Amino acid sequence: MEISTKQILKILYVLSWIIFVGVCVEAGGFIFNTFFTLVINPVDAKHFWPGIDFSSLYRYDPGHFFAQTLLMIIVAVMRSLIFYLIVKVLHDKKLNMAQPFNNEAGLFIFRLSYLSLATGLFSWWGVKYAGWLTTKGVPMPDIQHMRLAGADVWLFMGVTLFVIAQIFKRGVEIQTENELMI
Amino acid sequence: MPIIVNLDVMMAKRKMSLNELSEKVDLTLANLSILKTGKAKAIRFSTLESICKALDCQPGDLLEYANK
Repeated sequence: MEISTKQILKILYVLSWIIFVGVCVEAGGFIFNTFFTLVINPVDAKHFWPGIDFSSLYRYDPGHFFAQTLLMIIVAVMRSLIFYLIVKVLHDKKLNMAQPFNNEAGLFIFRLSYLSLATGLFSWWGVKYAGWLTTKGVPMPDIQHMRLAGADVWLFMGVTLFVIAQIFKRGVEIQTENELMI
Repeated sequence: MPIIVNLDVMMAKRKMSLNELSEKVDLTLANLSILKTGKAKAIRFSTLESICKALDCQPGDLLEYANK
């Protein structure tokens, strides 16, 4: 049985929705728990998220706790945005296989590249910040649990997508020229 | 673009409508309209040949260079 592009896109659409909901829950959870810990009950820092115990960090300095969680929130929100863009493009059916080089698709790749680059930079910053806090004697959770791992991959993806976006931009120009050739 | 398409002028001289030309040169009205309004980025020699044949004119009658 031959699997067509349409079927693959449909499967990717479902998968993207599932991942989108997951990353949104994560981002929302980080935001809520940060607010809850800082404003309502500081004990919540111990059970910040599965695998994350920020009680030592909170005891060390609530300001550093806020900065570290803010970096985690930024990364989580950007990941949600990436998947929102993917879900939106697949939902609106803006990927026209007959004429693939259109402005919407070009803009989509550009946005993905910027978001990936930003996610990579903030992840890298978060990891460095956690490392610095460790040198100050604050026991920090694993970066894998803080969802900050993979900064290099995000940066690599961002740069690759940026190059593809530039090529795509030229493709859009060529297609437009071709359409206007009588 | 400094290349001006004088298709409308030649059509007026030959008293030919866009529909009539479209049938003679086997081009869609949309494409002829793009050509007529100067939105076209390029024109095939074969298209130019068929338009010249239909309007009984030279390529120079249809295209003009104006340095603006």
